[in-house]
Amino acid sequence: MKRPTILVADDDAVFVASVGSILRSRYEVRTATNGSEALASVEEDPPDLVILDVMMDHMSEGFDVARSLRLSDVTSLIPIIILTGVDRVYNLRMEVDESWVPADHYMEKPVESAELLRVVGGLVGPGAPEGS
Amino acid sequence: MTPSSGPNGHPRTQAAEIQSPSTSSMSGAQERSGSFSFIFAWELHERLLWFSNLRWLAVAGLALASLLGPMVGMEATRPSLMVVAGLVATYNLVFVYALRYRYGPEEDYGNLRTVAILQMVTDLAALLVTVHFTGGCASPVLPFVVFHMAIGTIMIETRIMYFLAFSTCFAAAGLFACEHLGVLERYSSVTGVQSSLASCGLSTAMLVGLVFGIVYLTDSVTSRFKTRNIELHQTTTELRRALDEREELERRKSHYMRISAHQLRSPLGTIKTSIQVLLDGYLDPGSDEGLRLLGGTARRVDSLLDIVNDLLELAKMREGRARAPWARNVSINQILADIFDAADPIAREADVELIPHFIHEGAAILDWAVPPDLVYAFENVIHNAIKYSKSEGGTVTVALGIDRTHAMVVVADEGIGIPADLQDDVFLEFVRAPNAKHAEAEGTGLGLSIVREAVQMHGGKVSLESAEGLGTTVTVVLPLHYVPPEIIGG
Repeated sequence: MKRPTILVADDDAVFVASVGSILRSRYEVRTATNGSEALASVEEDPPDLVILDVMMDHMSEGFDVARSLRLSDVTSLIPIIILTGVDRVYNLRMEVDESWVPADHYMEKPVESAELLRVVGGLVGPGAPEGS
Repeated sequence: MTPSSGPNGHPRTQAAEIQSPSTSSMSGAQERSGSFSFIFAWELHERLLWFSNLRWLAVAGLALASLLGPMVGMEATRPSLMVVAGLVATYNLVFVYALRYRYGPEEDYGNLRTVAILQMVTDLAALLVTVHFTGGCASPVLPFVVFHMAIGTIMIETRIMYFLAFSTCFAAAGLFACEHLGVLERYSSVTGVQSSLASCGLSTAMLVGLVFGIVYLTDSVTSRFKTRNIELHQTTTELRRALDEREELERRKSHYMRISAHQLRSPLGTIKTSIQVLLDGYLDPGSDEGLRLLGGTARRVDSLLDIVNDLLELAKMREGRARAPWARNVSINQILADIFDAADPIAREADVELIPHFIHEGAAILDWAVPPDLVYAFENVIHNAIKYSKSEGGTVTVALGIDRTHAMVVVADEGIGIPADLQDDVFLEFVRAPNAKHAEAEGTGLGLSIVREAVQMHGGKVSLESAEGLGTTVTVVLPLHYVPPEIIGG
């Protein structure tokens, strides 16, 4: 059975390694360290789910990537999770150009492994252990 | 605007227009600000409308007088007074329309004052015409001139009213003279009597005395209130400004705290998630991958400590480190030389050539300085220049210029530069350009904020010029003879 592929985009390599370790227990994982890398990776091979940090190279990069994915016919149906240390109230105060943030789910760092797997499972299915 | 001494010792208002700042933070009546003289524009607007309503009574009075005048010997009142009543009603309609639809309560004070002056002038003209038809200087209508002067002095500035008083007296005297010289027809007053030249002269003199007297008296009574109104307005404006500044300060403080909290929370979140991954058994801590994660986590702890240390440093400077261990006669040459010695090995490792241009300069001695803070500032700028040099090396030049009053330290590199859109912001807390993050992952984003704080604490200024991909030049200018006021004052 083919395991769903998840793209994790975050500029914090240690966090990417941690989240990757959790997700690899049930999914295939690809990583990107900024928005443009994430978009290139999606274009090359669309994943089943994208997990995005907000503040990478610039303040609202994760939001910009999410909007780009939603506006493209090819990628508009890929589920998106925003996983960031930026809290909701702060998002609004940052006066991001548009308030429209088309994410399927919003999670704050730090993330509990069980909670992350539950949310991801709800969007792309439970996946499967490696090698199964 | 300064109130000057007026009649009988009362301060007289010499009103000039003050533009009141609009504010969203005040409530109730104070929200109705707008332009201000000794009263707000909206208050003048209300008074003008009241005056216009009162004028309908004058129209009715004129119409009634035109009907009843002949019964008491005033042969000229019909139809003359009816025509005057029609004219007054017509211009009153124009004024009411203007006040309701063109010059509302939000209108500029100056425009409303113009409307008020126009009302006074037209009223006084209508009044003099009525005086003419009702017996000239013996007219029973003449006292209404005085009434108008009193109302006008309450509504508009006294200096304008004195001018109107003079014009009215001049026009009335001219009218009476023309009547007695036969240029204009003379009409009889009540009982059909026509005044003699002597009694008319006396009436004119009394009119002049009464008109100027009433302006003087009304001003005496109202000037104290006008002055207090002005003072109250000035105090309100100052309080409003202070409140706005306070709100802005609170907002900045809150923003800074939030940004700081986020910067602390971000590595903490990473550390917590990493530990959880190891605890939950997703990675074996003894495996290569587990050890790599532990190493990365330890680096995140270090960066967290760096942020905390920098935040403390910034807080200490902002709290006023002038009381900290300061010294007299501090040599910038010596500080730069010490930093150079320490930075040289770091520069060699980064394949960067450090070029000093201060060895043979004269001595730049600051009358007062906090040496550790100056060291921090210059060290930070020089280390940044090395850190953000391109991977293939380059040069970092540190130059010192001195004149009689200032020392200027210029640190120029040939490094990655700062994107144009971020050059104004890099001195703000936690601002790091993307190319800086790529070149050097570790960094708190607080270094240049501390540099700015340290330089400002010494009465100086720091600025930078940069071109992305070509390099950055940071310039620090310090006054040689600056001593903080609290040190001078002991």
